[in-house]
Order: sequence, then C-alpha cells, then structure tokens
Amino acid sequence: MTAVERIEAEMPDRPARARPTPRRILPWLLSVVIGVLCVVPFLLVIAISFGRKIEGAAWQWDFTLANYQRFFVGALWPDEVTFLYLQQLGFSFWYAVIASLLAVLTALPFTLLLTRLSRRAQAAWLVFILSSLSLSEVFIVMGWDILLSNNSGLPALIKSTGLTQWLKDVGWFQTLRDWGLASPRNVKFKTSQFATILTMSYLVWPYAVILLYPALSRLDRSQSEAARTMGAGGWTVARTVILPAIRLPLFGSTLLLFVFLLGTYVAVTVFAAPAQHTTAVAIYSNIRGANLNAPFGATQAVILLLAAGLCLTLGHRLNRWAEAR
Amino acid sequence: MRVLGPLYMAFCVVLLALPIAVVCGAALNGGRSMFFPPRDPTLARFGEFFVSEPVWTQALVNSVIVAVGAALLAVLLAWPVAYLLWSTGSKLSRTLAALGSMPFAVPPIVFGVGLGFFWGFLGGLGAIWAGIFSHAVLLMALPLVTISIGLQGIDRSHLDAAATMGATEAVTFRTVILPQTIPYTISGFFFVLVLSFNEFIVMFFVSASGFATVTLQIFNSLRNGYTPTMAVAAITFIGVSVLVFSAVARWGDLPRLMGADQSRN
Amino acid sequence: MSGLVLKGISKSFGGTRAVDRVNLTFAEGQLTALLGPSGCGKTTLLRMIAGLEAPSSGSLLLGGRDITGLPAHKRKFGMVFQSFALFPHLTVRDNVAYSLHISGASRTEAAETAKRLLDLVQLSAFGDRRIGALSGGQRQRVAIARALAQEPEVFLLDEPMSALDAKLREEMQVELRLLQQRLGITTVVVTHDQREAMTMADSIVVMSNGRVEQVGSPQDIYHHPDNAFVADFIGKANFFDGVTEPGGIRVGPMHLSAKPNFVRGSPVRVAIRPERACLDDEPGENRLSAKVTFVRDLGPVREYHLDTPLGAMVVENAPGEVRKSLVIGDRTEVRLPPEALHLFPDPQAAVAAE
Repeated sequence: MTAVERIEAEMPDRPARARPTPRRILPWLLSVVIGVLCVVPFLLVIAISFGRKIEGAAWQWDFTLANYQRFFVGALWPDEVTFLYLQQLGFSFWYAVIASLLAVLTALPFTLLLTRLSRRAQAAWLVFILSSLSLSEVFIVMGWDILLSNNSGLPALIKSTGLTQWLKDVGWFQTLRDWGLASPRNVKFKTSQFATILTMSYLVWPYAVILLYPALSRLDRSQSEAARTMGAGGWTVARTVILPAIRLPLFGSTLLLFVFLLGTYVAVTVFAAPAQHTTAVAIYSNIRGANLNAPFGATQAVILLLAAGLCLTLGHRLNRWAEAR
Repeated sequence: MRVLGPLYMAFCVVLLALPIAVVCGAALNGGRSMFFPPRDPTLARFGEFFVSEPVWTQALVNSVIVAVGAALLAVLLAWPVAYLLWSTGSKLSRTLAALGSMPFAVPPIVFGVGLGFFWGFLGGLGAIWAGIFSHAVLLMALPLVTISIGLQGIDRSHLDAAATMGATEAVTFRTVILPQTIPYTISGFFFVLVLSFNEFIVMFFVSASGFATVTLQIFNSLRNGYTPTMAVAAITFIGVSVLVFSAVARWGDLPRLMGADQSRN
Repeated sequence: MSGLVLKGISKSFGGTRAVDRVNLTFAEGQLTALLGPSGCGKTTLLRMIAGLEAPSSGSLLLGGRDITGLPAHKRKFGMVFQSFALFPHLTVRDNVAYSLHISGASRTEAAETAKRLLDLVQLSAFGDRRIGALSGGQRQRVAIARALAQEPEVFLLDEPMSALDAKLREEMQVELRLLQQRLGITTVVVTHDQREAMTMADSIVVMSNGRVEQVGSPQDIYHHPDNAFVADFIGKANFFDGVTEPGGIRVGPMHLSAKPNFVRGSPVRVAIRPERACLDDEPGENRLSAKVTFVRDLGPVREYHLDTPLGAMVVENAPGEVRKSLVIGDRTEVRLPPEALHLFPDPQAAVAAE
C-alpha cells in the first residue's frame, strides 16, 4: 500500500476525534478515586473533630469548639486550667526535634562516605539500609527493649562487668541518677527520655540516609578537588564547599523526619514515662484505647497535622528567606 | 579521613545491626520468655510461627494477602497518575500526584484515624479488603515515585520514532513505554509489599480487631510482653526485606531509584 | 506531479516564529539537505514533514494530495533521529522489524524483511544483539535499516551523523548517499555541516531564522550564493563593506573594479572566496599591498592571513601561492579578480558606514 492509498483509506476516520477517548475520561476518574481515598479520610478527621461525645455511646455530628478548648486549656475552663494536652504536644515536638536532628547529623558523614564507594558497593549498602528502613517499628522497639531492659541487656551487662560499682566510686552515678538514667541500685534506661529518643532516632536513621543520598551523590567532586588545589584541608572543604551545597537537602530531610516522628507511637509507650507521653499516644487511647472519645482524638489529630503543616511551611519560608539573602 | 571513614561506617552498621541481631538471637529461646543470649537454644519457635500456632499462621496469611493486594492496587493507582504527570505535566496531574503522596507524608497515625472513620461509614471496618485499600492508598507514593523515575528515563525521541513507524499512541504505550518502565513498576510493587508487610498503625485503626496481620498481632500483644515467637516473625520479615531489596538491586538500578547521579559509576 | 511539496509552511512557538512561510519542492528520488546553523528551524521543518509537529499555517502535499492533517503514524515517513532513538528493550532485529510487528505483519514476513535490511546495512550477524552492545556506527546503521523497513514514501534524517566521530562520519556520508541512490527514495537530511550536505545532497536548502535563504545544487550554492548569509555559511569568504560607484565599488579609501548591477551609491557587501584571491605576479586590476600576519600550514593547504588596505583577509590555495614562500611580516601583493567578487546588497552596512 502506498502512502497515498493509505491516506485515502483513513481519511473518513478523522472526525472520530469527538468520541470520548480514554484521554478525557482518565483524569476525571482518577480525580474521583484519589479524592475519595486520599482526601476524604482527612476531611472526616477534621469534621469529626467538631463532633460531640455521648456518654456511654459513641459520638454524634455537631459543630462545637469544646474539643479544641479542651486541648488548649482543659475541659473545666474557665474554673480550672490544665495544659496536659499542650504538654503532650510539647513532648511530641521535643522527642521529634532531637531525634530527627540526631539522625540527620549522624547519617550525614555516613552517606557522604557511602557515595564515595563503587556503584556495586553502594547497591549492596542500600539493600541493607532499605531493609532496616522497612523494618517495622514493633520489631525495632522489641530489639531495643531487650537491649535496654533492666533485667537483661545493657544494664545487667554494666552491672556484671563492675562498671556500676566503678561509676559509684568515681561519683558519676549520682549524675546519672539526676538525669533519670539510674535507679538506686543500677543504671536504667527504661523509662527514660534517652531511650525514647535513641529508639526514635534509630527508627528514622535509614530514612535520613535515603533522603540525603540523592543530594550527596550529585555533589560535584571536582569542586572539592578545586578547593583542595587552593590549599583547603579536609575540614575546610567540608565546611566551605560541601556543607553550603547540601544545606537545603539537609534542612529538608530534618524537617521531613521530624514530621514523620510526630506520629511515633510504640517507642513512646514502651520507653517514655507515662507523664511524658505524646499526642500520638493520646490520639490512640481516645480513638481505640481506654478513653474512647473519638471527637477529641480527631481534634488532637487535626492539631498534630496543623502543627506539622505549620512547621513545614515555616521551614519552607525560612529556607526561601535564607536563599534570598 | 582514610582510617576514620571506614571506622565510622563500621560503627554505624554495628549500631544499626545490634537490635536486629538481638531479636534474631532471642528467637532461639527454648522458654516462653525473651533472653539474650538465648537459653535452651531451639528452633521450635519457627515451627510455631509457620505451622502449629493458628494465631500466627493466620496472621501471616493475612499479612501476605494485604501486602500483595496493596502492592498490586498501589501500582494500578499510581500508574495512571504517573503517566498523566509525565505525558501532560498539567496542573491537574500535579495536584493528583501531590494528593496521592499526601497520606505517606503526614504522620501515619493521623491518616489511620481518618481511615478508621472512613471505613466505618462505608462498612469496611474490620474487612481485609478495606485493609488492602488502606495500605494501597497509604503507600501509593512509592510506585508513584519509582514509575515517574522510569518514565523520565524514556527518551522522548523514542515516542517520535515509534510514531514515524506507524505506532498509534496506544501501540506506543504498549510497545515502547511499558516495556521500558517495567523494572521501575516492579520496584514500586516491592517497595509497597515490604512496607505494607511492616506497617501496623494504619492497619490497627482499619482492622478494628476484625483481623490481624503479623505486625498488628505483635502490636496487640505488646502489653503481655514479648515471646520468642515474635522474634521469629521479626527474622522472617527481615529476611523478606533483604530478599526483596536484593532482587530490586539485582534486576533494577537501585542507586538510580534512590536518586543517585546517573553519569557516575 | 509527484514528490513532496511544502506550501507556505509556518510554525510559531509562543511568540517566536521557528519556521516562516517556507515553500519547497522535494523532487522524487532525490536527496535534499536542509542546511543551516542551529536554531534556524530546519529540525522543526523536518518534524513537520514527518507529522510530529503540526504547522501553524500552510500545507503539505505528497504526490499532489494534501497530507497536512495526517498524523505521523499514518504518514509513516521513515525517520532517523539524532540520538537514533533505538529501543533499548528490543534486540537489533526486533528494532528493525518494529514497524512490521505493530502493523500486524506475519512473523515470517517480519523476519525476512529484517534479514534483508540487516544485509543491506551489513549487520546480518548482529540481529540478536542488544542495542547497548553496538558501537555508534552500528547503531546508526540499525536506525537507517529500521526506518527503511516500512518502505516509506519519504526518508527523513535528523542530523544523522552528529553522534559519530569525525572519521566515521565521512565514511557514513558516502555510504548513506550510495544506499539512497540505490533505493531511489525521496530523502531529506537535516544537517548543520556544509561538508556533509555537499557530500550527499542533490539539492541543498540553506536556511536561517526560519526562512529559506537559497535552494540549489551544491555547486550552485557554493559558486553562486544568493546573499551574504549563504556566502558566509557555505565555505569560507572574506567580506568587505562598500558602496557602488561607476565601474566598481568604493571600499574605504580604495576603488575596486567590479561589475555591480546595483544603482550607483548602493551599500553592498563584497565577498571573495579565499582560493579566488591571487598571489601571482600577473598584471590585472584590484592589486592590493598586503602584509602577512599569520601563516597556517596544514600540509596540503597553506593559509595566509593578510593585512590589506581593505582590512584583514585570508587567502588559501591561491594561484601563485606555491611559488612564494612567505613568512610572518613579509610584504606582498594580492590581486582580487573582478569576476571573483560577489556583491550583495547590504542596507545594514550602509548604516554602519555613515
């Protein structure tokens, strides 16, 4: 068939364009599916956060700000003011900030070293990192729990090696007690902020590596080499060439991990003292746990979400402001 | 630096492997309690987990069903979004991609609470299919990213070439785009598989005690303390992760998927 | 009438005009080169011929029939891309047989065609290889075979040699030209390399800024450029700006004898090819004193850079050159034969001169 014949054969087809093609239906269908599955759950949380709990039953739709009032100043306001829930949010932030910073700062040199390896070696390392990244929080907490538990694990090891006695002798034991890391008889990690933050940091450490990896692997090595030829030593190169180049991903990664850690649940319940529990734990106990107050749980979830969003926005602004300078 | 570097990497690995090693060791305990180092080493716990204890075998079956189902569904949801984003780059497609990634970006407990309400209204609470949908939506961001990376790797002139050889858009999709993105689609599938396997917070709110996956089962029995059988579960899961990611590394370009610079080796 | 005809083809991207009212006829069985600097719109024009880009206005006719609205996959003009665009997930054979596979041809037919074409480009032994295992030259042959497999009416090549190294490029130009002549297929090649265009083409279309500057045979375009752009772009040329006066042109302080067919006082650009200037001692018009500023001796060719009252100029392979062995700083005389001078109207030069 020559082209001309082909043209003739196909000419009558041309007005068929008006038919609804998959190209037109697809975006609409997708919008509906994504909208329902990804957005509606969040909208429900927001809607229910204005609902009301009924004693002895579940809850009902309403539009009351009582839940929000309770979160900020307590249920009995104005007669009595409690900041219990704000304090929980404070702990959420405290743990998440320290743990994400710790993870990013320790993952940075590791990732930098990783990107200097051969492609094959990098792939092998990434398998290891990804495997530990995907490992469930329950398993990680289980591992650290065994390691840090008072009867077995590290405290027992410290005692049996005589380290406890030595600490008592040199007087550092008292310092550890002041920090809440020792009982009268031995060092202890459960419950302590140290164990909580350590586990949380461990939880996101592989994420930190994965998040920093693209930026670091794209670092132009010739820039460092250029700095070298101009007489810069290893640390000077890191400070004047590498750090400025990765400031943005470094900051972004910390922020992302921070938001992720706001929702940590198991590590906090296992390692933190009940008085130092977080909003995530409170949400859990309100929705499915002992309290059974779904609207208030939803309120806490909304506030956690808003706080996370606020931090991301602020971080973004700060970054842009720093860029502009 | 030459000595410090490897030393620091070794230190990181030891710390990273420490709790995992402890859990693995604990699986060998003969009694009902977790000790490290294990007492009465035995492999009986493996039998319990895989064969004799219905609680665990059922949980394992559920885990597999949810993970495989969610991975399939996530890939099916992510493909059109990624394709739309790549082929049009329109505002709508960018919005869809952002919304599709949102559940993965927020603290999972918030999305879990939302899904709990959502399925409560739709009558899916406690049903395993709702669990599959939930994980698919939660983890859709992963295949969205891997497939997008794959699509970006396609030389646009390949599409022109196919067109000049008589391929319609549909034929081009089938013969040029799809084959070149299959490794990335499979990677996305496996990422969802592994993360779904290990996720439990969202599943906790969605299952409403209607069913339990392995991680959920462990989560639920946290209060009663650990048993060596749980450690067996942990070993199994680590094994699956290592296997899956090794496969991805073997048949796909793992460094590129993780965003490494292509030009360097 | 057969062949491919473009009528008033234009293409705008946003506010810029990439191709501006192009009228061209590609004669059947001939090889035409679209030649121009990068960004002159030649690739856009080729893509419109292929149907990959829709023209903003104008029409395309193939064998007298309007094909303007026909999409690329219905035109099926075989095309070789700059990057070759070979499918990495298919073998060499499957790449070549791609158009047959998707058009529903039988397996045996596809296999036979692939074999025949691989023979044609001398890659019979490479059918089972992956694209990644081929060298640049082999990839180009595969791309050519693949584009020819569908027996296209028109064969299009977009900078087909740019991915090859210099030596291979020259070989492939000859090979491609021989192949095209053997098949007698209407062919359009886009290139920015005038050497490549002159090696292969029956006819060259010189383009700049989306417009056609000149159409003609390679010899035509070299020896009789229509304007200063063509004279400059094709080969080398020395340029001087001047104004016509009786019997010649005034360039700065000098009068040059020439045959201007312009109104007296018109601003003109004068061009002369480096090999048309003479360093001989023959008597004649337009003798200039010159000082040698640089000598580039390339072996077969010797190039003198001269400083003359008209300005700097380059002389190469000039008659009489062999007898003189000039070095930097030498004084000599250079003769510009009136018949070697090309005169082009140049309004811009006039503005600059005043």
